[in-house]
Amino acid sequence: MSQNVYRAAVIGLGRMGSTFDDEIRQGGQFFMPYCHAPTYAASPHTELVAGADPHAEQGAIFAERWGLEDGQIYSDHREMLEAERPDFVSMCTTARLRAEIMIDAINAGVKAIWAEKPFTLSLAEADEVLDLCDRKGVAVAVNCSRRYNVFFTEARRMVEEGELGELLQITAYTQCNLSSNGSHAIDTMRYLVGADVEWVFGEMESDEKAAGDEDLMGNGYMVFDNGVRGFLRGTPTGAAPWEFDLIGTEGRVRSLAQGMETQYYRWVPGGPRGRSLPARAPFPLPTDIPSMGFAVIEDLIQCLDSGAAPRCSGEDGRKALEIAIALRESHRRGGRRVELPLSDRSLRILSSEIARDSVPARIRRLKGRWP
Amino acid sequence: MYRAAVIGLGRMGSTFDDEITRGGSIFLPYCHAPSYVASPHTELVAGADLHAEQGAIFAERWGLTGEQIYGDHREMLAAERPDFVSICTTARHRAAIIEDAIQAGVKAIWAEKPIALSLAEADAIVELSTRNGVAIAVNCSRRYSPFLSEARRMAREGELGELLQITAYAECHLSHNGSHAIDTMRYLVDGDVDWVFGEMESDEEAAGEEDLKGNGYLAFDNGVRGFIRAMPTGTAQWEFDLIGTEGRVRSLANGADTQFYRWVPGGLRDEGLPARAPFPLPLSIQGTGLTVIADLVDAMETSSEPRCSAEDGRKALEIAIALRESHRQGGRRVDLPVADRSLRILSVEIGGDAVPARVRRLQQEPAAA
Repeated sequence: MSQNVYRAAVIGLGRMGSTFDDEIRQGGQFFMPYCHAPTYAASPHTELVAGADPHAEQGAIFAERWGLEDGQIYSDHREMLEAERPDFVSMCTTARLRAEIMIDAINAGVKAIWAEKPFTLSLAEADEVLDLCDRKGVAVAVNCSRRYNVFFTEARRMVEEGELGELLQITAYTQCNLSSNGSHAIDTMRYLVGADVEWVFGEMESDEKAAGDEDLMGNGYMVFDNGVRGFLRGTPTGAAPWEFDLIGTEGRVRSLAQGMETQYYRWVPGGPRGRSLPARAPFPLPTDIPSMGFAVIEDLIQCLDSGAAPRCSGEDGRKALEIAIALRESHRRGGRRVELPLSDRSLRILSSEIARDSVPARIRRLKGRWP
Repeated sequence: MYRAAVIGLGRMGSTFDDEITRGGSIFLPYCHAPSYVASPHTELVAGADLHAEQGAIFAERWGLTGEQIYGDHREMLAAERPDFVSICTTARHRAAIIEDAIQAGVKAIWAEKPIALSLAEADAIVELSTRNGVAIAVNCSRRYSPFLSEARRMAREGELGELLQITAYAECHLSHNGSHAIDTMRYLVDGDVDWVFGEMESDEEAAGEEDLKGNGYLAFDNGVRGFIRAMPTGTAQWEFDLIGTEGRVRSLANGADTQFYRWVPGGLRDEGLPARAPFPLPLSIQGTGLTVIADLVDAMETSSEPRCSAEDGRKALEIAIALRESHRQGGRRVDLPVADRSLRILSVEIGGDAVPARVRRLQQEPAAA
């Protein structure tokens, strides 16, 4: 890996850009440092050189927290890109502006983008960003972070090396809006299965929600091109919170309770009528547990060095969005199977995190506390 | 004491229990003849089968005389006037024999599954049994499992909170063992299916009437959603997962393990955690067949519906057919009930049924040296 120290900047200085890690007290779903600024500050490969946010309060908190000077905080991201010429830039604004800002960054000559999810709101936006990335040779990693979680990467390794036998089924119980956290759920299904979705059936939480553009909950059935079938429950999951169940002919991995536990089962001789039994074996622990933010940065640097696609690429981000939209299309069409890719690229989901984004969530909270 | 007779003296009628070496999905006595012999409510008085070999084995095994074995079930029904009759023949003849038994005046029928091949046959059975006040229990035996009936009690009494999801991994043909899987989903959810989406194993299988594998999404009328995978399930073998807002029950590895989870305070961001608690064991566990007989006795004496009624058998078949219809219609949701009552599935167990499976096996075995 290149030994350069890359200049890194964050655009959008709110929760994911700056302080999300403060909320996390237990590993499993995340290993620290996880979010953008703390990762850039701690990584030996990067130096945090600037931040941009139209809201001055966000900039002040960011500068103090990460030891930047006022001159390193910009209210206009284009000005920052021009003045600082960062190599890495993180996209942590509301998703409403993500495509536009990514395009600005690519045109300003950045080498690598670490983008929050969802990748974009519409398929057309995703298409435009990916096309530009390809033309300019910019590496984009989308922060569908389970691809950078060592338990999931170990499960994926077991699949690739045939330790689960032939894959048959992936089931996800992940209460979420299909674009917002659904981008995590759907991307993780694709990652574990190692294949693309050919067609889906979906049922949304209501006809009204399915008819609109707002983010929404729903369930779906997915047919992967390697024969695996997927079931996603994004409507409320009660006592089964954020669970992925990957079932093969010879083994099975279950990630339970937001990644707090990972179980591994092997098919062993025995059982009634000698038909064999699923026996729980220790899940193979990795020799070390890397920070998830570091894993993203190392992945992006390898991509810069080799020209390969990041582990969670812009293409992966687009596919998660496209599957979410296809699930909603299935409902809109009266419960029919819907083939991918979708031809209407104007389709979009207004990811739930953009609601009320004229004022950042942290500022709304600060104002609520100190009126 | 009720007089009980078995029609169809093969595996389920007589000797299935010999194959079972471990409890879990069923407890012994389970199948028909051993249950009638062991139950304090019944006396096994006769058997009927077209195939003389089956009759001879049955008589010897269960201590009946040659006169208690009949080649014609109608003759048996007329001569023996049984109160209980078990229908253990190939499913091809089940509907016709059930009708004969009802016309002959039996009080209770314990029928193997699937209840019928076509919806029209199932309709006729439900209608005739209702009109004649005959109690029919279909042997979708998980309704008589102490573990699954405890899970259902927990669901009904609110111990799992509001029910949300039932998932079944049950590799099977949708009519044959699918009748077990689908019925168990309905039983645990305690709701009826409003509509389904299904994908069958192939377009060719979906177009035909032979029994087939498939997956499906089920929308229940109480808001629960179901997913069944009946295509191959690998290491997830006959599993039911019942998920509520406050608790969860998982029946694993064909009933060999039952797990209970409660939602407790804690977790990554204090959002709560699923914690495994001991599954509440019943006070006693009796043979599954004895539970069916006790249920039928109760149904006869109180005019209530058996726990797995003919209506339940019809609904399992109808859901299987609707899943196939969904595929046939190019992958779209199909509302229940299904209008075309001529639709049917030729349950996989009727394959080669001109000669009973045991007789075929006996004929293939080399003579002893």
